[in-house]
Amino acid sequence: MRARKHIAVIGLCLLLAATNRFQPVSSAQNASASISDGIFNEEQAVRGAEQYRARCASCHSNDLRGNSNSPSLLGMSFMFVWEGRSLGELYDKMRREMPTDQPGSLTEQAYADVLAFILASNEFPAGAAELIADQSALDRITISSQ
Amino acid sequence: MLNFRLSSYPLALALLVGSVSAFAQTPPIEPVDDDDLRASVAGEWLNWRGNQGSWGYSALDQVNRDNAHQLQLAWSWAMDDTGAGEAAPLVHNGIMYVPGPRGVIQALNGASGDLVWEYRPGISGVAEGSDAVPLGPEQLGDAAMPATAFAGVGRGVQKNIAIYGDRIFAATENASIVAIDANSGLLVWESPTADPALGYHYTAGPIIANGKLVTGITGCERYKEDVCFITGHDPDSGEELWRTSIIAQPGEPGGDSWGDLPLQFRAGGDAWIAGSYDPELNLVYWGTAQAKPWARVVRGTDGDALYTNSTLALNPDTGEIIWHHQHLPGETHDMDEVFESVLVDIGDRPSLFKMGKLGILWQLDRSTGEMISATDIGYQTIVNVDPISGAVSYKDGLLPRIGQQIDMCPSTSGFKSWRAMAYSPQTSALYIPITLNCELATFGPTEQVLGGGGTGPVRRINYPHPDAGENLGELLVLDIPSGELKWRYRSRAPVNSAALTTAGGLVFIGDWDRRVFAMDAENGEMLWHTRLNTSVQGFPISYMVDGVQYIAIPAATGGASWSAMLPRELAPELRRPRGGNSIHVFALPEYAR
Repeated sequence: MRARKHIAVIGLCLLLAATNRFQPVSSAQNASASISDGIFNEEQAVRGAEQYRARCASCHSNDLRGNSNSPSLLGMSFMFVWEGRSLGELYDKMRREMPTDQPGSLTEQAYADVLAFILASNEFPAGAAELIADQSALDRITISSQ
Repeated sequence: MLNFRLSSYPLALALLVGSVSAFAQTPPIEPVDDDDLRASVAGEWLNWRGNQGSWGYSALDQVNRDNAHQLQLAWSWAMDDTGAGEAAPLVHNGIMYVPGPRGVIQALNGASGDLVWEYRPGISGVAEGSDAVPLGPEQLGDAAMPATAFAGVGRGVQKNIAIYGDRIFAATENASIVAIDANSGLLVWESPTADPALGYHYTAGPIIANGKLVTGITGCERYKEDVCFITGHDPDSGEELWRTSIIAQPGEPGGDSWGDLPLQFRAGGDAWIAGSYDPELNLVYWGTAQAKPWARVVRGTDGDALYTNSTLALNPDTGEIIWHHQHLPGETHDMDEVFESVLVDIGDRPSLFKMGKLGILWQLDRSTGEMISATDIGYQTIVNVDPISGAVSYKDGLLPRIGQQIDMCPSTSGFKSWRAMAYSPQTSALYIPITLNCELATFGPTEQVLGGGGTGPVRRINYPHPDAGENLGELLVLDIPSGELKWRYRSRAPVNSAALTTAGGLVFIGDWDRRVFAMDAENGEMLWHTRLNTSVQGFPISYMVDGVQYIAIPAATGGASWSAMLPRELAPELRRPRGGNSIHVFALPEYAR
């Protein structure tokens, strides 16, 4: 009986995973990989803001400017560190190391949402589709102020 | 502010208070006075580093070279994991007072480990007769956090506390100073000193000097209309008696050392390590951190930036700066000199020993501030230093320019940090925890606007120090005053605790990889080691209860971002738990329970 339940749960997970693969993906993530092409949407950035306040702000401050121990995620200080690197690298760092007290404890989508909030805070434009938590797709997007 | 001194209160009331657990079994403590703090009686641990000169030394010798190998766990105690643990416990009348993350203070029976009481900010009650109003969400605004939330990297740290009279004193993450009744754990007064929503907070606690409570603030890296300061408070009432600006202000002496920068762009000078006190000279010695942003080119001035990266000698009654010595004028690589001041008389010369991130051991005359000697331990590649005058100059090509990578040792993490050195009068040596590392560093810009500033960004690539092979950790033992190497111990894992020396001829340290060691202080022979639940982190102490000597070792995670970054990047095979803040107490087997 227990085994059948497990099979049912695994089946449901596989179904959800398969379904997830066919969700609409940001066109920018599919193609050109420019951070200025509206690669996230406003709803996602709002969700990311909530996650940020709950899980990130105690280190990086409510206004994202950081403190002596946590780098600024805003403006020229942020771009100085991340300009020219891929969004995938930032996403990977967030997943592996953040939040410092509980690395990896957010869902992949929540990390992507926080990423969307950071991009919105740095005045990158929102678009129609959401930024999807897809490492290889994010690897193709370069963080650039141009 | 409350003008009330607890002298007695009804036992019945105390029994009704939820924060008191074992009060009925614990007799009231003997009030601590200035003579007690000065005497530093063996068996007690009344100052954050043992004595007022911050030796980190216990005069107990029941545990010694001959029997240290028998040490066994007597008891341990788990602390909250809501922030970094860097505890410096105190012990008085057999009670251990342990500062935990996010303002929690717990009083434990030093022999059994039983909880006597615990103080939890905003949760514990207020002492009878006190009109103290604890800071709450309304006062804290954006700085308010749920009591169970993780404080954030480098936040919520409560290194040291102070004891005086029948009270425990602490400085909080919300930029206030509190007095706790040492018998009940109830709040007596809380005195805010700054707006925590602007980033102000404390990580170093107060010290007592001539009956005054002296405390230095931190969180001064962001641009705001005010700057870092040290205060003196009345321990009885909580009244702020004086406030000394760490930053030389425009139009005042030293004010031109920041060029034309207006006050709001004079950031840094954080006073994040507690000071020492010389009762004969009636001088408090307090270190200050580097100017912010770190790099001159980002700060917008190549001036000295007084009184950052200095040792200040303060009159504890007035806050007057009697003398200052700026170790690194116009510092520009995040090379902090804020750390502990160890007061040792060399012959008839009252001296102060200190080491910053660069690994230069400074010896100052503590009555005048005159430099006596500067001993470069030879690991750093950033400055030239005159061994007599202590004057420093930057090596060619080492001044940071925006966007240009420089190769420097140490990294911005430094060789020396908060992990305090200890002194042993038996060996006339300093025992100095060191982390070995270097960095390819590229400093970047930051916005010069109110709310902006900060440290400034750095693209950093850490790499091992070429002199140390794969080793990141070191206990460096220097003879003083010669500064000559006595012995050194190196390890793959960073040495991660302060050092403790004892009259038993021992030195205790611990590392990031959970190991704690007792070594022969004379020659470094390893006499005992064991492994704890997580990194050994904090300030080990020794004390005696009922004729038994105990060694208390804090273990913890968290702390500054770099404390986890270096092992993660340079020794990735070392893994530790995510939590585990705790204290572990050892004794000889006939006494361990």
